[in-house]
Amino acid sequence: MSALLEVHGLSKHFGGVLALDELDLTVAPNEILGLIGPNGSGKTTFFNVITGIYRADAGSVVFNGTDVTNASGQAVYRAGMARTFQRSRLSLPLSIFDNIMIGNHKRLNQGLWFNLVKRGDFKRQFEESYAAARALVEVFEPGLADRLFEPVAGLPMIDRRRIEICRALISAPRLLLLDEPSAGMTHEETAELMNDILLVRARNKDLTIIIVEHEMGVIERITERCVVLNFGRKIAEGPYRTVASDSQVQEAYLGVA
Amino acid sequence: MPGITGHDGGDPDMDAGLLAQYIMNGLMLGMMYALVAVGFTLFFGVLDVIKFSHGDVLTVGAFAALATYVGLHALGLNSSWLDLLLMLVLSTLAMALLGMGIARYLVMPLRSAPALNTLLITLMLGTVLRESVRLFYPQGANPKPFPALLPRASIDLGAFNLRLDNVLMLAAGVLVILGIQYLLNRTKLGLAIRAVAQDEETARTMGINFTAIVLITFAIGSGLAAFAGVMNGLYYNEINFGIGLYLGVIGFSAAIIGGLGSIYGAILGGFLFAGLQTIGTVLLPFASAYKDVFAFAVVIAIMAWRPTGLIQEKISERV
Amino acid sequence: MAQKTRISVWPGVISLAIGTAYLIALLDVERQNLIIALLVFGIAAVIAAAWLGLLDSVSASFADHEDTLGGCAIIAALAVAAFFHENHFVLLLVITVLLYSVATLGLNVQFGYAGVLNFAGASFFGIGAYTSAVLNSYTAVPHLVVLVIGGLLAALAGSLLLLPVLRTRGHYAAVVTIAFALLSKTFLEVNDVLGGPQGMQVKGTRILGWSFNDNITICSVSLSFYMNYFVVSLFLLVGAFILVRRLERSWIGLNLDALRLDETAAGCFGLDIVRWKITAFLIGNFLIGIAGALFGMVGGFVAPNNYTFADSLILVSILLLGGIGNPWGLIVATIIVVVVPEKLQTIQEYRFLLYALMVIAVLLFRPEGLLPRPVRRYFPGWRP
Repeated sequence: MSALLEVHGLSKHFGGVLALDELDLTVAPNEILGLIGPNGSGKTTFFNVITGIYRADAGSVVFNGTDVTNASGQAVYRAGMARTFQRSRLSLPLSIFDNIMIGNHKRLNQGLWFNLVKRGDFKRQFEESYAAARALVEVFEPGLADRLFEPVAGLPMIDRRRIEICRALISAPRLLLLDEPSAGMTHEETAELMNDILLVRARNKDLTIIIVEHEMGVIERITERCVVLNFGRKIAEGPYRTVASDSQVQEAYLGVA
Repeated sequence: MPGITGHDGGDPDMDAGLLAQYIMNGLMLGMMYALVAVGFTLFFGVLDVIKFSHGDVLTVGAFAALATYVGLHALGLNSSWLDLLLMLVLSTLAMALLGMGIARYLVMPLRSAPALNTLLITLMLGTVLRESVRLFYPQGANPKPFPALLPRASIDLGAFNLRLDNVLMLAAGVLVILGIQYLLNRTKLGLAIRAVAQDEETARTMGINFTAIVLITFAIGSGLAAFAGVMNGLYYNEINFGIGLYLGVIGFSAAIIGGLGSIYGAILGGFLFAGLQTIGTVLLPFASAYKDVFAFAVVIAIMAWRPTGLIQEKISERV
Repeated sequence: MAQKTRISVWPGVISLAIGTAYLIALLDVERQNLIIALLVFGIAAVIAAAWLGLLDSVSASFADHEDTLGGCAIIAALAVAAFFHENHFVLLLVITVLLYSVATLGLNVQFGYAGVLNFAGASFFGIGAYTSAVLNSYTAVPHLVVLVIGGLLAALAGSLLLLPVLRTRGHYAAVVTIAFALLSKTFLEVNDVLGGPQGMQVKGTRILGWSFNDNITICSVSLSFYMNYFVVSLFLLVGAFILVRRLERSWIGLNLDALRLDETAAGCFGLDIVRWKITAFLIGNFLIGIAGALFGMVGGFVAPNNYTFADSLILVSILLLGGIGNPWGLIVATIIVVVVPEKLQTIQEYRFLLYALMVIAVLLFRPEGLLPRPVRRYFPGWRP
């Protein structure tokens, strides 16, 4: 079984700062990979490079057999990668439904004629999309399922994070990139969120996840394998237990004793 | 307008005197544009705002100077130098106050709103200032003669007539710009301004009074506008209520071309724009009025090529 | 899960009826102090309604029954025209409102939806108008086609600015259209072929053989020749309104909002930023141009002085006053901005000043505008 995502020698610098240092990483289909490391180790930069927000300076990214090195964000999305952001990026004045539909872009008909003239067909697609969005939201927060046309601005942070994950999941991506999904949440809320994500994954056999996290409890519970970054380099790889007891990893997080 | 506006074709060789005249015109215009552009860049530096009313503050400054002159003459004072001095001082002070008021009541309250709102509010404010001059200054809708207060002597250098008043104005402009440079780079106040421009939060934690610095910066920028307005009046011997809009857009374009936030860029942009206008006049001698069409078209083209100006603004967004 | 009770259409209908009656009264009255009294009464009534929460129920009514109320609005417009069927001045005013509304709808697509700054709206309006002047004077192109060409030329002129518009953000983007506004006005002034500062005349309009410049008589009722233009303008506004509404209430409208609010995120979800900015900008300019072309025909005359930067700012003011992104608010704001200074002759001179002050007040105290834009409802009245 070949890897879903293969990254070789990926490098990225910002001025004098080397954010990614010849990073090698593979992700197998259907696995849940934890990406951890101290602050500034390059985790979010890694996401930003493979999703086309930054250009890589060197290296290659192969996704599902296709070379997507330095492909545009749009191409990467169409290929089946979707992500959430470290700092919540929802369009606040828009409704929950609208925000989720932004994530559904590739499954919606964007033609002018369809949208402006063929209103009957459009209505059908709208109703299907509404049903899909509602079903997804119901997994994460049933209380929101009937409030899909409320503006996101009025929602508490945890609900916004849930909506953002729904936005990433609605297009049935093959690879989901979660960037610190638990930030700003309590332990209970985080546990609940992780359960919901696992539920979605159970229903959708095809979903692979890379999760960046600082809360090690989450990593331990839901990931099968971890990659540890430090200064843009991979310093350890393996199940959580293994990397947690790795001396290099401990040094990276805690400093030299 | 002093100098040559265009000449009918015919002589293929550029007359040296004519060339010198064009250069002189270009320098004068460039100086004025640079002064306005520096104002824009100062405001942008400290508050990340584009104060679109800046050009119209120039207009009000020019009219304030004119009003001072009229007042002085009504009082029977007739010394050119005294007139000029008082006009400069009063209009600069008045505009400094106006600038501070604008900062305090219109710009700072909108800091948490999208930047677009500040852009819009200052655009509207510019209209308010412009219309106020047109409506409330006696006969404001008509161009008003501006007194010629500088010595009218001139020296003949071959075919070129070098006017003393132009030289004086250029020198004064240079001094003012050098003064601003000195203020920014060699004084504690300048240091505070640059600190605020770079990073508001850090500046505050270092004990700098953010509001005071912003107000002072706006006062300086608006004072500069007044100076430029008086200079404009002396150069053309005439002012009208629309002059600020025109100069404002040019000054803004100049600041943008040079790269917002950079004083050198603003000065460069100002002279560049004047240069474009001069080139336009020379290239199209049959219709020198097209010089503005030409110059603005080049500005648009530059924006297409370098979207954040010739000296790139360092924009970074945390993703 | 409680089902929402059906929202009544009556608040909408009643407010439309009252509004129409008020407008007719305002247009009819001549004496200045009566007009002032009417205006004061109107403002007080609106404030009272807001305070009583009535405005919310009117908004909800419009949101749920937009198609029906749109039909009622058309009837209201016809009623106004019928009342003033012989009055050249009032009909011209009404036509101005209709055409400015179309132009501002175009600007709304660019600015309100896609977030593309356009401070040269009046310039593109002028391009449409000059198209009418030139084509009517020098060619035999049918006048209906001239309207479409006016729109296309305005869009074409806009495409000259596409590269800088696409590549710039915020205040940099502002410079591009402001420079274009000044550039085009100067160009029109110095260009003798297009009449220079004096401008050009627009020859009389004939559509399908029907002359638009003669008064009409139907069953011994005499109608001003402006009725011809009124009918065409109303058609244009209704068409533009439906177009813009459907645009907003579709995946395309969603795309535009997404790219306005967060371009980076939108790109990560497959949005082709360039394609949609271009689409919004060109559609907007097309609407502005068509409105301008018709307006040129109505006025019979075009001159550079009518399409200055200050005029572009008026269009932007209407957008801000009415409520960015809300077509109904836009129409209300257009009515206010066009009608009030014409009626209140004393403030005619001061109108630029007053608009600017009003917009400043709005930006400081109520940035959403008169009628804030509600959340997107893809189908009015639709319930899951």
